[in-house]
Amino acid sequence: MILTPKIVIRITLIGMLGVLLQLSFFSRVELFHVSPDILPALVVCLALLGGSLTGAVAGFSIGFFLDCLLVEALGISSLVLLGIGYFAGLFRERFEIHSSLVPALLCMGLTLTAELGYAVIQLLFGIDAPVSPLIIRDLLLKSVYAFFIGWPLYLLVRRLLRPALVEEPKVRRRRQPRTLGA
Amino acid sequence: MYRKQVRRRRAVLALLIVGSFVLLTITYGQGSNGLQRGVSTIFSPVQGVTDRALKPARDLVDWFDETFDAKGENSRLKEQLNKARAQAVAGQEATQENAQLRKLVELDRDPVLAASAYEPVTGRVISRSPTLWRSSVTIDAGSGDGVHVDDPVISGDGVVGRIAATEPGSSQVMLLTDHASAISGKVLPAGVQGVVKPEVGDPEHLILDFIDSTKRVHGGQSVVTSGWRAQGLASHFPPGLPIGEITKASVIEQEANEQVDLRPFADLRNLDLVQVLTGGSRP
Repeated sequence: MILTPKIVIRITLIGMLGVLLQLSFFSRVELFHVSPDILPALVVCLALLGGSLTGAVAGFSIGFFLDCLLVEALGISSLVLLGIGYFAGLFRERFEIHSSLVPALLCMGLTLTAELGYAVIQLLFGIDAPVSPLIIRDLLLKSVYAFFIGWPLYLLVRRLLRPALVEEPKVRRRRQPRTLGA
Repeated sequence: MYRKQVRRRRAVLALLIVGSFVLLTITYGQGSNGLQRGVSTIFSPVQGVTDRALKPARDLVDWFDETFDAKGENSRLKEQLNKARAQAVAGQEATQENAQLRKLVELDRDPVLAASAYEPVTGRVISRSPTLWRSSVTIDAGSGDGVHVDDPVISGDGVVGRIAATEPGSSQVMLLTDHASAISGKVLPAGVQGVVKPEVGDPEHLILDFIDSTKRVHGGQSVVTSGWRAQGLASHFPPGLPIGEITKASVIEQEANEQVDLRPFADLRNLDLVQVLTGGSRP
């Protein structure tokens, strides 16, 4: 990805819009008693397009913005999201994306990793109440929702950042020569 | 060149990780800071507009979800209605008896218990935390409207939580289901007191803990805020606010663990409008 000031502004606006949509819409709707969490999927999509550095910085910034709006301890969301952004970017730098399933599966897997990361950090800091086994349902369903959100979100973010993307040249097939009058 | 890029990438990653830990160390358990208050003040109007704009879409998604739940809820509500009818009859008898007793002893009403001691401020929920570990919502009423930290928050059905942080135009409400929430409660009519705590991950399940194991409580009984006061200290919540209904009260749980299970009256999953009880007496 070619990072110019305009592209950095676009990525910033995408991140801010993602956080606002998550807090005002996705967190307040439920399907089967679980709300989707699009922020890990958004970070994964940015990382798949921009690489590990872009993914890590985007994850840190989105997490920081989220914690500011929720007035929670700064750093928890930043740590989790920068981690998954970095690993998603590493995947992009080492492998090509040949199938539409790849972003969806990465979003699913890394959303599950992010939710587990939140859980581990909260448990490390101490929980003053018992934990219900329904947390497992929450983790699994959130990752399933991320699978379905992953591909359309990837397409949308790719379209928004198209000016910054270096497209690989398509291989042209040689045409058979046409004989006029034959 | 490649090695230089890899080194730069790793340096930035290390810096971000260290930065996260530094932020966590500085801000954990400290409440809101100036930066968070500033960001929240700037973006709370935007959140309010986004909330209103997306309400039709939310309602559509909720319609699908509620359709799946409707059948089970229907039978549960029918059962509750039958129980409520029986309780209403018993309540009418108790009210009549209470009026007669009051006349006899000429009991003055404690001004602290009067709801008029509080000035309710209505707020609309504009955002919600995405994880179950931090169960909170943001409302569009803040310190500019007279809201203070620790003010009780209620909905039309019962207690919702308390104010955890305020900005001039918005406030964060720590819900009953947050892992740090603990409210002193009392079972009616038994009068057994305890502490209402959540079970993280299940917004329809609370626990009334530290109850007196020698006194029995039963399923279907209501739990309200106890509103205790003692030696200059007092609960943030006034007495008598409905919290929930006891769903399971096995003798073994009461004797061994000194706790029973509750279902909250307030629908904490679908909050839209809440009231903050400002004013009142402060500990």
